[in-house]
Amino acid sequence: MELNYKQFFEVIPAYLTILDRDLRIIEANQRFRKDFGEFAGRFCYQINRHRSERCEQCPAERTFRDGLRHGIEEQFKNLSGQEVSLIVYTTPIRNAAGEITAVMKMATDITEIKLLQNQLRESQERYHQLFEEVPCYITIQDRDLNIIEANRRFREDFGGVLGSKCYQVYMHRSEECVPCAVKQTFQDGQVHQVEEVVTARDGEQVNVLVSTTPIRHAEGLIKSVMEMSTNITQIRQLQSQLTSLGLVISSISHGIKGLLTSLDGGIYLVNSGLEKNNTERFKQGWQMVERNIGRIRTMVLDLLYYAKDREPDLEWIPAVAVAEEVCGIMRGKAREYGIELQCDFDQAAGNFQADAKAIRSLLINLVENALDACRVDRKKSTHLIRIELKGDPECVGFEVWDNGIGMDQETRERAFSLFFSSKAGDGTGLGLFISNKIAQAHGGWIHLESELNRGTRVTVKLPRIRHVLKPISFKPL
Amino acid sequence: MTSKKRILIVDDEQDILTYLSALLEDNGYETFQAKDGEEALRQVEAALPDLITLDISMPEKSGIKFYREMKANDRWKQIPIIIVTGISEEFKKFISSRHQVPPPEGYLSKPINREEILQFVKKLTSSYC
Repeated sequence: MELNYKQFFEVIPAYLTILDRDLRIIEANQRFRKDFGEFAGRFCYQINRHRSERCEQCPAERTFRDGLRHGIEEQFKNLSGQEVSLIVYTTPIRNAAGEITAVMKMATDITEIKLLQNQLRESQERYHQLFEEVPCYITIQDRDLNIIEANRRFREDFGGVLGSKCYQVYMHRSEECVPCAVKQTFQDGQVHQVEEVVTARDGEQVNVLVSTTPIRHAEGLIKSVMEMSTNITQIRQLQSQLTSLGLVISSISHGIKGLLTSLDGGIYLVNSGLEKNNTERFKQGWQMVERNIGRIRTMVLDLLYYAKDREPDLEWIPAVAVAEEVCGIMRGKAREYGIELQCDFDQAAGNFQADAKAIRSLLINLVENALDACRVDRKKSTHLIRIELKGDPECVGFEVWDNGIGMDQETRERAFSLFFSSKAGDGTGLGLFISNKIAQAHGGWIHLESELNRGTRVTVKLPRIRHVLKPISFKPL
Repeated sequence: MTSKKRILIVDDEQDILTYLSALLEDNGYETFQAKDGEEALRQVEAALPDLITLDISMPEKSGIKFYREMKANDRWKQIPIIIVTGISEEFKKFISSRHQVPPPEGYLSKPINREEILQFVKKLTSSYC
């Protein structure tokens, strides 16, 4: 029986030693002798650690003291001076009287495991660094669309939002998006891509290209979904400028057709006036030519206004005249749709410095939006649009109010974004963007308040003398 | 002696009204004018024209609405209408989306070819009446 234990002691794939109370090695197995050499009369700390004093943390000493089993992770140096990582357990050996006479120390080589652990940790650190520093927004979401992890860029732009719903943070809304790319990935395990306009915590609109990828358990089940969003706002802005230019060129080419017809008419009257010796007709034709050349000149300047960020062509204009002109232009259209158009203008609103054409375009755009909002609203029997003009010593303010379909929070937040339109195929997504640009070019701003199914109020505030205005708080609708 | 054919010219551009009136009168037609669809309807009611040239984009009542009302009216639906416009998409969209409305008798894009409009007018005024 003793022989069997001795054989087992010798061949066990670990370093086994027996220590006396002085920590002298009194027995060691074959593997220990092979890697750490002869032990006769030597102390464990001399052989294991190549040192002359006891170790500060010695599990064998503790076992001698308390009679319990102890474990510790240690680094030994073998015969060739190589560091070996070991997990060491000490066990008391007692005599017949129960006294501890020696301690058995069993050390298992975990160098390979430690190496793999280090590699895994380094790899995790690298992935974590990549996750944190990658120049896009990354979140990890559970099945209920709770954000359970978010990278640094996301936290910076959208706040510390762990535990919040994705659509609350990204869209500032209380309901899930339809369709939801994250949910689709949970359902089919596939990568999904979608383009969205999201709102950062400072209110900035960000165009993002969203891609969702499943994260699976070892068994292959999807435990979460990673959503990566790349900021493509600059690309969209560039596209918008090109599209805007395209639309303006299309509109101008239509105008040019009319101008060419009028020029042709002028030439016809000039020529036929000369042929018939009709001076009156000749004069009339020549005036037509002159007038239409002037209109072409204006049209080219308009093209330049949209083609680049041109400074507004400022002149002192009466606010009432602009408001009345817009009202006159839009009244017929409102009547056509059966919508009442009320105008309430402060006749003492006075003059302000502005590009008359640009301000007219801005206001027409706002009234057209109001008409559309009323036109598509089937929930009310009568619709009303009110245009107001107010003046104070520093500013003029235009207000366009309607009791049309109104907007939800998401539509409100995205209303000034490029390419965003709530009018399906009827909108270009440029109108409010350009209106906002015109207001800003005048040192003013546009403020939008809206409630779904109740209506919308848009306020435009423009300084009398151009300088940048700061938005103020507004009373509710 | 036959009386002159009467042509109603509908366009919001005064220059184009002046041009087409001069051109058509020089070629033996009597013309009268309207600046939008509303005024055009009053002119049709007051003096039944033999032909109408119609612009599409106009304030107040657009050319589309005027055209629809003309073609829906039993007394007026036989009056030939030549669309004269710079916008082609809007009108074509309107026609294709409303199959019950017959297509116009003539369609000309601005800028106008003088020979072409005169040929159209001549052909349509001799076949109508």
